Amino acid sequence: MSDIVISARGVQKSYGSNHVLQGLDCDVGRGITGLLGPNGAGKSTFMGLILGLRPRQGGTLNVLEVDPDQSGPELRARLGYAPEHHDLPGDVQAADLVRHVAQLHGLPRRAATERASDALWQVGLGEERFRPIGTMSTGQRQRVKMAQALAHDPDLLLLDEPTDGLDPVQRDDMLALIRRVGREFDIDILLSSHLLEEVERVCDSVVILANGVVGHSGALDELGSSAAGMRVELDGDPQPLVAALAARGAEAAIDGHILTVTGIDAVGDLVRDLVADLGLGLRRLEPRRTTLEDVFIEASL
Amino acid sequence: MSQAQIHDRGYLGYDGPRHGTRRAMMNLSYHTVQRVLGLKRSNWQKVLPTISLLIAFIPAIVFIGIAAFLPRGDELGLDSTADYYGIITGALFLFTAFVAPEAICTDRRSGMLGLYLASPLSRDTYLVAKFAAVAAVLGAMTLGPPLLLLIAYTLAASGPDGVDGWLIELGRILASGTAVAVFWTALSLALSSLTTRRSLASVGIFVGLLASSAVGDGLAEGAEIGDSFALFNLIGLPFEAVSRIFGEVEPEGAPLNQVDTWAIYMTLVGLIVAFGWFARWRYQRIEVDG
Repeated sequence: MSDIVISARGVQKSYGSNHVLQGLDCDVGRGITGLLGPNGAGKSTFMGLILGLRPRQGGTLNVLEVDPDQSGPELRARLGYAPEHHDLPGDVQAADLVRHVAQLHGLPRRAATERASDALWQVGLGEERFRPIGTMSTGQRQRVKMAQALAHDPDLLLLDEPTDGLDPVQRDDMLALIRRVGREFDIDILLSSHLLEEVERVCDSVVILANGVVGHSGALDELGSSAAGMRVELDGDPQPLVAALAARGAEAAIDGHILTVTGIDAVGDLVRDLVADLGLGLRRLEPRRTTLEDVFIEASL
Repeated sequence: MSQAQIHDRGYLGYDGPRHGTRRAMMNLSYHTVQRVLGLKRSNWQKVLPTISLLIAFIPAIVFIGIAAFLPRGDELGLDSTADYYGIITGALFLFTAFVAPEAICTDRRSGMLGLYLASPLSRDTYLVAKFAAVAAVLGAMTLGPPLLLLIAYTLAASGPDGVDGWLIELGRILASGTAVAVFWTALSLALSSLTTRRSLASVGIFVGLLASSAVGDGLAEGAEIGDSFALFNLIGLPFEAVSRIFGEVEPEGAPLNQVDTWAIYMTLVGLIVAFGWFARWRYQRIEVDG
């Protein structure tokens, strides 16, 4: 299998005069990828295009080396999808629903029955698999959605807001499960979310959508290495240091007790010398690391 | 004996055979038939489909019993198989209005449509599978009892005369049963595609059918504008088509009886196509995010 799972070039999608995707370019590699973006950024629309649920109006899109518009049914047989909504037929047993979806994805009845049971065990619903879905909690329904997406052994799993509606404990469990599916089951995952923290916890890379285009994409571990300036924490008033830094061409932003200093090279040496000259108490001096939040805010502007 | 147990087999990949879209459609149809019949659901959900099937089959069983056990019982039966469709109108009406909407309304309401369209099914193959499911159950009601009667009367030596007569009767039953089942299925899916609420679809079908009957017959009979307006009577139209298939024309009967046979057939086919096209048009426009 290619290292590129999803490749989009100039993808466009509009609803009337609302241009949701305006030339989206990105490559999604193997592993767990977070699809981040504020509400209305086009995440669900992009998911719909990946599934071939709606046609795009421009650009090229390849998912598992297949164009969803050209070979939708063949592609969808290789995809697993857990939608955002919590509505599932309440009078159907979890095992029946998962088996049914597995059969729709091409599995013979016997294999579908076995794998439905296995998938429900894997997501922690083994004992609950014969319960009607209507009697289950939100967390359990999220797990049923995960099980139905997994049962037919997809090559790529699309998860749309999988922790929506979960309490903190359930959320931790779900994120652990997603990580396990990505690592141990060796299934590539595209995780749509608007929660930075959960993307940071489970994903290998991220695609940030903003205003219909990709604001940023790349591996998460590359974010921290892109140092930009220093973070300084002082005892006492930081204003003398800010003024001294400004006089030497550096920019200093104050956030509570923390100064973020950027704008010149060797900023660490300069801060150290100025703090000593001004007789200030230095609590902390460390390289500033770019966080996902920084990237997200920058991409969303 | 060892007490060892395997608690976690780990995740296993699947390398076995995979079927294509056609099998997915068959699976969806089978699943839909189960749902509309209330199988694997509460007893309450089984009531209406059971009543519909009983209304459809019990008269045939009674006629067969009369023919089998009463002296000259075969003479007490129906004049024509076409008359049987009049007897089971209630069953078809009940099923079309109150059971069939379950086939598609619930999928949109429960979000299952998103899961279906995220599978190898497309909007078109989904609708075809749903159509086949509803038509199969309605077909069981429109084909099953007449075929039972044909077989029973044949065994009782009171069936159609000769092989030719028997084959013509069989052909008429198949054509009539299929036409009625397909018509009511198309009508039900078209109206059900307008709403996610099953109860609303039921009311729409119920009122729509009654209104079409009143308007059609009213225009043709009351206002005396022309007999062709009786073609608006969606309850009477398929049964009039059945009468024509069995070669029965009553020139002095209801307004629909006065309409030419070709107009009856063309209207029936045209409405089936129109209802099918409308359901497809609706489903092409439904936004599905999953």
